[in-house]
Amino acid sequence: MPRTNPVDIDLYERGALVRFAGVDAGYGAATVLVGIEFEARKGEVALVTGPAAAGKTTFQHLLRLALEPRSGRAVILGVDVGRASARTKADVKKRIGYVAENPVFIEHWSAFDNIAMPLRLIGQKPRDYDDDVRELVDFVGLGDAADITVEKLSNAERRRVAIARALAAKPDLILADDPTAGMSPADGRRVVRLLTEMRRVGAGVIITSQDESLADVGPINRWRMDRGHLSRVGYDGGEPTEAEE
Amino acid sequence: MRNPFAGLERALFWTLAFAAFAAAAVGLGARAADRIAVAYEQQRSNYAIVRVLAPEGEEGLAAAQAALNAAPHVTSAAPMTAGRAAALLQQWGGSDVQAEDLPPLRLIEIELAPAPAHVDVPGDIVAALAQGGVTAELVGAPDSASGGGLSGIVRQIALWGAVAFAATMAVIVWLAARGLAARRREMVTVMCDLGATQGQAAGRVADEAARTGLAAGMVGGVLAGFAALVVLLLVIPGARLDTLRDMILPIDLLPIAAVPLGAAIFAGAGARAAAASFHRQAARLG
Repeated sequence: MPRTNPVDIDLYERGALVRFAGVDAGYGAATVLVGIEFEARKGEVALVTGPAAAGKTTFQHLLRLALEPRSGRAVILGVDVGRASARTKADVKKRIGYVAENPVFIEHWSAFDNIAMPLRLIGQKPRDYDDDVRELVDFVGLGDAADITVEKLSNAERRRVAIARALAAKPDLILADDPTAGMSPADGRRVVRLLTEMRRVGAGVIITSQDESLADVGPINRWRMDRGHLSRVGYDGGEPTEAEE
Repeated sequence: MRNPFAGLERALFWTLAFAAFAAAAVGLGARAADRIAVAYEQQRSNYAIVRVLAPEGEEGLAAAQAALNAAPHVTSAAPMTAGRAAALLQQWGGSDVQAEDLPPLRLIEIELAPAPAHVDVPGDIVAALAQGGVTAELVGAPDSASGGGLSGIVRQIALWGAVAFAATMAVIVWLAARGLAARRREMVTVMCDLGATQGQAAGRVADEAARTGLAAGMVGGVLAGFAALVVLLLVIPGARLDTLRDMILPIDLLPIAAVPLGAAIFAGAGARAAAASFHRQAARLG
């Protein structure tokens, strides 16, 4: 059972997926993030933009529990990260979908098998997840590439596999670190739109990117990261999506 | 037909199979050395020749034989005939010896029951002969000189040598399995990112390594057993498969049986340790 307190649970049940209060984080002697105040809620999309080396990826590591806060309080999916056991963190990680800037795959496995990995980890059998994964493959537009080993896929296709894998276990929180890196503007916007669509099923989405123009992809809470300091910019209603048009 | 080795890492498989073969072969060799040493010791210690000094003549031999039949440790006693003596001399000396050329012998061959090391077998027999009124000496009686105790040393060397070699092979297996874990590092990283615990991620890699170790150990063990059979057929004059079947004891097969288990355990342990370390690295960036 996740070790947490009733306030964290209450906040989570009222929709606060992530709440950081005065969080510092870093690597070794270097402190990268300073006094982070942040909140993300169910069904909302947060876009954190900023220049290179501003701390966006470190922020993502913090969100995906790969990095522990040095000070302050970080509550993710109702669990106080600073106090949680390794098993509790592992359980929380299973409820987070993460699209890395450079996604790591099991290269000699097919895209399909890589996408199904989170479902296998939670004990599902192929007959249980086969249809769901095929649906995801169509959703991210992978098509026949799903049956090819990941090592043979293009950069854009790998990104799609990463997104599909992040969505496979129907996570409560979806994280994407610079998901448009190395993609054409059109492809990039399509990928971000796919991610923001997940708010419709109640998930929270947090995207970090250098690309400020992504803010108009949909209704988004905008944040700005600069030299390890995070500040709220505002809320963008965004341009109408293709479906809305 | 489905390839039974499908999915196994080929390079790792053959490394482990070689290590298993070597360990099993050395184990079988040690077992053979042990059996030869035991047989030598038995042959050396269960036979002696009594030379009757007094009284002289046939009556002395008869009295000695009667005393020996009642003596402790002696299981049988029989006077040595001239023909038997000639045959032995020919066997030991190599030259042609005729039985009729030999003088009257006052020798009795005796067979002895196994006795603990601290028992003075020659002393007990000489005392038994003296009680029967016979003065005699034992020739070729078991003692600690001239090879006495050597078999024990040989057995110890064989046992501990095989254990040391098996330990070396276990280290090789352990290290080779770490190599498998290194090739599965991306999988461990992915599993960690997706929320697998260290036990889950390391266990998965360890299971794969253990399966490979078990299969490789079986192949190595069977190959070593086959090689041992060929060696026995070549070395033992007139040996056939059916005679070998009677010769080989179940305990002789212990190295072949132990090798797959050992390979699986050490491969699994090596892979688990390495994968756990990769998981820890992936789980903590700060």
